[in-house]
Amino acid sequence: MNRNKLANRYPRATEILEEMKDSIKDGIIPIGIFNDEEIYQMEIEQIFGRKWIFLGHESEIPEQGDYVLRYIGEDPFIVARDESGEINVMLDACCHRGVRICKAEQGNTSHFRCPYHGWIYKNNGKLIGMPAQRQAYNDLNKEDWGLIHIRLEIYHGFIFGCLSQDTPPLETYLADQKYYLDMLFGLHKGGVEVLAEPQRWVVNANWKLAAENFSGDDYHLIFLHHSASDIGATPYSMFENMKGYHIHAGNGHCVSIALERDQDGSKTEFPYWNFPKDIYKTFDLDSLDEKQKEIVRDSKEMLGNIYPNSSFLVMSVTSDQQSEPVPFFSIRQWRPLGPDKIEIWNWMFMYKDTPEQFKQDSYRAGMTNFSMSGIFEMDDTLTWETATWTAGNHFSKKNLKLNYQMGMYRMGTAEVDDKWPGPGKAYYPRYGEGNQRYLYTSYLRDMLGEEKDQEGAEIKQDGKDYSKSISR
Amino acid sequence: MAKTIQNQLVDKDLLVREGERFLYTEAEILDAGDYQKWLTLLTDDIAYQIPIRTTRERNAHSSFSSQAFHMNENKASLEMRVARVYTDYNFVEDPPSRSRHFLTNFRLVSVDKPNSKCEMVMKCNMLIYRSKFDFVSHDVLSGEREDTLRKEDGRWKLAKRTVYLDHTTMGMSNLAIFL
Ligand code: FES
Ligand SMILES: [Fe+2]
Repeated sequence: MNRNKLANRYPRATEILEEMKDSIKDGIIPIGIFNDEEIYQMEIEQIFGRKWIFLGHESEIPEQGDYVLRYIGEDPFIVARDESGEINVMLDACCHRGVRICKAEQGNTSHFRCPYHGWIYKNNGKLIGMPAQRQAYNDLNKEDWGLIHIRLEIYHGFIFGCLSQDTPPLETYLADQKYYLDMLFGLHKGGVEVLAEPQRWVVNANWKLAAENFSGDDYHLIFLHHSASDIGATPYSMFENMKGYHIHAGNGHCVSIALERDQDGSKTEFPYWNFPKDIYKTFDLDSLDEKQKEIVRDSKEMLGNIYPNSSFLVMSVTSDQQSEPVPFFSIRQWRPLGPDKIEIWNWMFMYKDTPEQFKQDSYRAGMTNFSMSGIFEMDDTLTWETATWTAGNHFSKKNLKLNYQMGMYRMGTAEVDDKWPGPGKAYYPRYGEGNQRYLYTSYLRDMLGEEKDQEGAEIKQDGKDYSKSISR
Repeated sequence: MAKTIQNQLVDKDLLVREGERFLYTEAEILDAGDYQKWLTLLTDDIAYQIPIRTTRERNAHSSFSSQAFHMNENKASLEMRVARVYTDYNFVEDPPSRSRHFLTNFRLVSVDKPNSKCEMVMKCNMLIYRSKFDFVSHDVLSGEREDTLRKEDGRWKLAKRTVYLDHTTMGMSNLAIFL
């Protein structure tokens, strides 16, 4: 990408971001980036137009003909399993006049038929016919006029789409994040499956605030989520929980793990994220290396952000004060709908080969705490909304510089831990905002089009290639 | 014979009126934010459900999910939510949002009188207005409610509520109120 051209198209945004490039070294971020139309337009092009974006999971469309409708930024895409069982991701737009052809959010169909003039596409996107074809389009080469396909790749059943041809393959893109995703989702032979349709709701907040929260803002649990510990929705002490690691996992990805250093694993209070024993006995630990095994056994809670805007979370919560806490997996998409709006997509997952009752309990406990009515999450969205609002105001935009300095200048106890067994750069304990700074440093590099160095060579990816060690 | 039918009709009419009155009072208590009192209006086996809805084609079986719920509550989980409201950390609803239930189109679906336990199922249409802080904007939730009321010790209580919303993607930033 020609940087001059970019700066011409987004002059004001470029200026703000160039300034931020300096200030972030000092842990300072201008609040304006969280509510700015020009920055948003630039993000749609530079971030959402070029990164791997989470769309859904294979288990949402198990049968031939099953489809779901998903989005990358504003563009709608049909994610469909065709007659041969292959998954396709196709722009939901007819090639004749651009009319949308997918009528529902999900369903099963062998064909998509455009309502305007009736062009018919197979569920793999091929144009196969239209009304009065011989009179109207006799010489049309239908091969050339199928639905537009975009790149898709699948990891642990999670389907990602990418709008750019230049972006490296998904597994390279995921970098060190793969190691942590393997720990979570590769732990059971049958894999994971979605428990229900995703919950979707709109929040007046900037997408980056959600992404940075899941990247490693554990600090807010102490105060904002005090009600959750007060009423016993979670067994963790939020202060104790700060014992843990923040990890820069390559290419802007972040991981945060509640894990006490140098502890004796046999004394772990909630081993295996508090999974019931008869379930964690069935974990396929053979697929993990020794370090991963230890982390899986001893970590209480784990979350992270798959750069740019998908997050994951596993922790243990309860749906009422009489039930035992159970672990859940929540996967998120923070779909941007403008500089000050996101649509939150919330999927609950569980290992496929676990008892039905356990899956239901996990779903209920998870949704009780992390959803639009969630004991935790109700308070999260409130803060993201007011911060976004502040970011849009004239005086704040000019004067409010935000402090992201925890873990710098001897503020915050977080320090680099060279002994961290996993890949990525790790900090201990979680009193630090290094993950957020890391996220925004990657963001700046992408926004300003600096993936390539002066000579045009690809800047080295900071993650290792684990693709050979993955058994799937 | 004619008289019995007449009596039954009167009975039914009275029941509907009783049901309406109960639901109006219940809505008033909810809008006033008196959740402790609200809990006393619920039976111990209350089921409170808001299934997630998705856009489906006309020939689909139902647009409401049988597995996905915005809320799927029993007495214990509702009690935990109410306990949360009264902690010092109820940021989202302190100050409380201003909500107002509008209930119309009451219909009696069924009446069941095994022994002395009387249960009836009523449907109504529901519109909830909600605003907060000093914003001029507001949210509106529309839906159909199906409520099962049961008479216990001479008092009506809510035994089951299912809210069928007219929304797929929800336009509210949180669901910190009861519908
Ligand atoms: S626009 Fe689709 S057939 Fe004409
Ligand atoms: Fe939170």
